[in-house]
Amino acid sequence: MKKTFARKYLGIPYAVFLVLFVIAPLVVLFYYAFTNSTGHFTLANLAGFFTDSNTIGTLVYSLCLAFVVTVACLLIAYPIAYVLARSKFKSKAVLVMLFVMPMWINFTLRLTALKEILNLIEGNLAYYPFLNSVIGMTYDFLPFMILPLYNTLVKLDGSLLEAAQDLGAGRRQTFFRITVPLSMPGVISGVSMVFLPAMTNYVVNDMLYNSTYIMGSLIGSYFSAYDWHNGSMIALILLAIIGVFTLLSGDSEEDTRRGGALL
Amino acid sequence: MIKKMKKSHSSLAVKAVAFAMASMLMIAGIIGLLPENASADTAATDSGKTVVLRVCNWEEYIDLGEWEDDEVIDLDNGDIFGENPLYEDFDEWYYENYGVKVVVEYSCFGTNEELYNMLTIGDVYDLVCPSDYMIMKLMSEGKLVSFSDDFFDAENEENYYVRGASPFIQQAFEENQINGEAWKNYAACYMWGVTGMLYNPEEVPREDAMTWKILNNPDYYRQVTVKDNVRDTMFAGIGALKSDMLLSEEFINSDNYSMRLRDEMNDVSEENLAVLQEYLQDVRNNAYSFESDSGKADMITGKVLANLQWSGDAVYAMDQAEEDDYYLEYAIPDECTNLWFDGWVMLKSGIGDDEAKKQAAEAFVNYLSMPENAVRNMYYIGYTSAITGGEYDDTVFQYIDWTYSAEEDEDSEEIVEYNVGYYFTGEEDNEDYIIYTTEDQTRRQLYAQYPPKDAIDRSAIMWYFDTEANARVNQMWINVRCFNAKSIPVWLWVIIGAAFGAAVFVMIRTKVNNRAK
Repeated sequence: MKKTFARKYLGIPYAVFLVLFVIAPLVVLFYYAFTNSTGHFTLANLAGFFTDSNTIGTLVYSLCLAFVVTVACLLIAYPIAYVLARSKFKSKAVLVMLFVMPMWINFTLRLTALKEILNLIEGNLAYYPFLNSVIGMTYDFLPFMILPLYNTLVKLDGSLLEAAQDLGAGRRQTFFRITVPLSMPGVISGVSMVFLPAMTNYVVNDMLYNSTYIMGSLIGSYFSAYDWHNGSMIALILLAIIGVFTLLSGDSEEDTRRGGALL
Repeated sequence: MIKKMKKSHSSLAVKAVAFAMASMLMIAGIIGLLPENASADTAATDSGKTVVLRVCNWEEYIDLGEWEDDEVIDLDNGDIFGENPLYEDFDEWYYENYGVKVVVEYSCFGTNEELYNMLTIGDVYDLVCPSDYMIMKLMSEGKLVSFSDDFFDAENEENYYVRGASPFIQQAFEENQINGEAWKNYAACYMWGVTGMLYNPEEVPREDAMTWKILNNPDYYRQVTVKDNVRDTMFAGIGALKSDMLLSEEFINSDNYSMRLRDEMNDVSEENLAVLQEYLQDVRNNAYSFESDSGKADMITGKVLANLQWSGDAVYAMDQAEEDDYYLEYAIPDECTNLWFDGWVMLKSGIGDDEAKKQAAEAFVNYLSMPENAVRNMYYIGYTSAITGGEYDDTVFQYIDWTYSAEEDEDSEEIVEYNVGYYFTGEEDNEDYIIYTTEDQTRRQLYAQYPPKDAIDRSAIMWYFDTEANARVNQMWINVRCFNAKSIPVWLWVIIGAAFGAAVFVMIRTKVNNRAK
């Protein structure tokens, strides 16, 4: 009895945090999104978003950018995570550190360095704005993809791989039929950690001179024009997209686990 | 048994630590919830001794002191040296002169819009320093406290602002009105400047930089940056679009040239914005980037050849480049330039009816307007102070002369006369205000800090927009910056549709399969 009492109290700080910094802002967001400047209820902001070719264009552009960044991160991170997890090296932690260490350096500082390197290679950064954003974000978000992948791959049961080989599966077949399906939870959490920020993190865009707005910059531009209503609505729509995405991926994660257990 | 005991002991310790940390977090949270200035406010009203002045200014927009020893500015009027931040020095000065203790709570904002949003949310400041259009907006919304009559008494030696502000500034603040009230009643100019093009003279001929058309000039494809700020870029865009008209004899020689110029440059009608949008889209396809702060560094490192820039930042960039023996120049385009001001205003939400606070706020403005402090700020920030010293004090002129005057010697360049009399006396060719300087300076820092009179003649102040016009302008800007869905070709829509369909199909199939299993 006493134990549960104490535990209940341990939850209070987080509950306070939740109410103050998660729920309260959400309520404010909803209020602004569904009112106009005179404070009356309206759906005009919602309709406005879906009827303006510029906002839709921005959504498509952000989705494309986020998609390319996520694929790039996945293609780079998977082999690294795989090698790291499989390696015989005694202190893997050191190896993992090497990949996580860049995160200890301030992110604008890293981007400034990247800017100079890209400038050397490309000659003029402004020629390839989309490519620059992809490179910048991939560079920035890569650790968020490596870590979850590494964590799932390192826990992968080696006996399953041996069993597959015993039953006559080739190396490639083992990889695609055993390793990949079992690492799906890692892939999904990596993807959701990269895809969502890639749609909104406009600092990378600004610093690498991509002058096309993405969702984050669009929201910002409404707020700096004192239009909190449209800004909140776009933030809310983004939240809805993220919500749907998480819901779907959460489902398939469960499916994969069930699928994995069946093996 | 021992093992077990040890384990439970350690887990208890963990719990205790966790609980302690949790409660600390909670206490910190509760303290954070208390009104920030509660303690300070009671101190001010109860004891009647310490006045708290909450000042909010642009970042890096005041002398923060800590100069190197060799940075002393030795003028005939005495040495000037910045040891402490200027706002800290004020506390001491105020106590000595008014016998009242004051504490300045100094903070910063990044953009005018950010300041406005901060005030809307409920942040409270007494004295803030927004730009012209934000001053106009705050004035029109009745959010400002007017200066007291004493503030304008030029007989009082401590009224450094009215005694020392440039006649040119005083005139502008007198003539320009909002709701029938002159700006000067509510705002005291701090710094001012113009907009123009900072350029690399080795690659860009001056005549190219002397027109706003450079933004769209294909010769400088991806080599020119513009501001990531609708007002500045829009102004330049209007200048380029209307270039022929603005430069026509008929327009320049018209009787009400200044008024017509201002109307043209502030034209936010729907027709004009539609044309402007198209023009700025071209600029976006031609320019290097829209920058908010990186333009200076990109000019210094040579990444770009020209940069739409405020005069003060241009001075800073030219100074920095010179340290590497790299020389940049500044051009104020022939069509028109945006004359802007940043000024101190007192807020109703902060000052209210508190006379002690109001007195301290006015004294703060006057303290910053002391000629030696104006020099400290100019030296530190690079912008041009509104203060010239008037007929009472020539420290500022001595400083300009100290900075820019050059002496003729065998291998130096030609020495020319540069008259800054207009800013100091209001007369254009006052013999007492000639600076003998190198010919280069007529295109560099001196030119940017005190532009020739003809540049001021073709300057226009950019007005504030009402809510409706502001929404229109912002929409235009968003349209310029966004990727337009209409420009997506049909085949891409088909691919996107197919990809989406495939994803949904796969998800459904997986679900059905799993359920079957």
